[in-house]
Amino acid sequence: MSGIEDIRQRAWDFGLTVTTVILLAGLGVQSFLGTVYVWWAQRSIPGWEQSSYAGYVDAMNVIAAPQLIGLVVVMGLCVPKRLFSRRALIAVSAAMVLAGIGAFAVTGSLAGGVTVYLSLAALIQVAVVSLTAAGAKGPSYLTEGRLTKLGSGLLHLGFIVFGVVVSALQRSPFMIPVFWASTVLMVGGSAMSFYANRIAVRRSAPVEHDLDF
Amino acid sequence: MLSAPETTFNELRALTDTLAAIGSPYQAVLVVAAVLLGVAAFLPAARRWRGWALGVMTVLLLVGEMALVWFHYRLWQLAAVTDPATGAVVGRVAVPLWVESEKLFVWALAVAVLGSLMSRHRDELLSGTMVVTAVLTAGAALLGRPFTDPVPGFIGQFIGYLQASSMGGVAAQQAFEGMYNSMRFYYNAWYMWVHPPLLFLSYGAFALSFLATLLMIARRHSSYETTAYRWARWGYLPLTLGMLLGFPWAILAWSGESWWWSGKVNMSIMMWLLYTAYLHARLYLRRQGMWKTVAGLSVLSFLILVLTYATTYVVPGAHSYVSNGPPSEFAALVHEAVSGL
Repeated sequence: MSGIEDIRQRAWDFGLTVTTVILLAGLGVQSFLGTVYVWWAQRSIPGWEQSSYAGYVDAMNVIAAPQLIGLVVVMGLCVPKRLFSRRALIAVSAAMVLAGIGAFAVTGSLAGGVTVYLSLAALIQVAVVSLTAAGAKGPSYLTEGRLTKLGSGLLHLGFIVFGVVVSALQRSPFMIPVFWASTVLMVGGSAMSFYANRIAVRRSAPVEHDLDF
Repeated sequence: MLSAPETTFNELRALTDTLAAIGSPYQAVLVVAAVLLGVAAFLPAARRWRGWALGVMTVLLLVGEMALVWFHYRLWQLAAVTDPATGAVVGRVAVPLWVESEKLFVWALAVAVLGSLMSRHRDELLSGTMVVTAVLTAGAALLGRPFTDPVPGFIGQFIGYLQASSMGGVAAQQAFEGMYNSMRFYYNAWYMWVHPPLLFLSYGAFALSFLATLLMIARRHSSYETTAYRWARWGYLPLTLGMLLGFPWAILAWSGESWWWSGKVNMSIMMWLLYTAYLHARLYLRRQGMWKTVAGLSVLSFLILVLTYATTYVVPGAHSYVSNGPPSEFAALVHEAVSGL
């Protein structure tokens, strides 16, 4: 990779990370405002829970859905960027979002549209995790070390699968097994990512270069 | 001759009296110890004894926890739930050790134990750890009062159940159904034995991460951030697992109740999102000025953690100890103002 390409790559990675942080913070702000609203409504509007809670939940879901999809889109753009050109990646991500919107238009169900999108994202993430486990050079992570990358891939896959559980499987007999799979992926992936140097066969102590800010 | 519910009621009262007899002076000792610990955290002359002071407080809290284990065991022996229709005992209520009045106590214990075990930047973190432990311990003794007012929600419900059982008829059947459901879906649910301790473990680790972040801000050196990160990842795993485990349980236990996007759930999600954002942002810690964002996210995450804890007592909902009361003056004013827009 040439110097200029490397700089562009780093700027792209940094931009995606900043976008991730903003989306996470955005969902956090929504949660906080939701809490304040619940507190106010419970104390101010008689019978609010019986009359208006369902509408409130629908509104929160509608606001959260694009942010959740945004997070998964960023995830999809981040890791497989060496497998495809950036233009191709953006095109694939846009096509997946359009497929979700199409499903929403056809079924009239927001959960249905989100589920279609997340299912497609899960398929791509499975491919990314498989390539990472096989040691392919294509997937590109912000972290170093194969176990760390594998852990990162698994926890992101778990996040997507958990999204599918919430959006599509709450009344399904498959909910519990799929939920447990997502839990194992998220927690196991996080642990693998955090403590890769301790569980690796060939251990290497992480090098820390201390610096003053 | 006393009926079975009356006998149980008398034994229950004797048990809570015994706990109070031990616990009343113990809670006073906790308050004094918390004050001394807080003072020792700031006294330069006490610097070399700080590790010992935290150790003594940890032992003191562990002794209290042992007393609570004994109390809960005796409570389980007494808390038989009997079907009035058949007279058969359908189960015993196993009240977890980290609900109602015991929550702050468990959090204090988690911080004290983790603080006693910490090694990296130990000397610099001891003062802050002592202050946090002292505040939580004093809060547990003065606000929670787990020894003089043990698990008041359960005791209140169980006494009501015993009273109704002694009357018989429809009241007994209704009280039995309420107690049985509480036992099955709340107190004896495996989730209640796993979810809260995981969260209190994570809260303890995040408190130490917060203290290390404050050190990073004060001294502007990356090694403190590394310590903060190590404690944050220690807290993130039980937090993630504990929160995830809540999902299928909530669907089962709160079927038909308004829990999705409720106040406590919202705040918990926010806390997890912020810690996730922090863990992402720190990947670029060495980028120019990025440490400020990382520090800001770490501090904000901990403040939201404290708010999340407090939400249980402020915002009504399925996951809350506060009920829908009459509108407060402030809320009424806000309502009036919004309605007028």
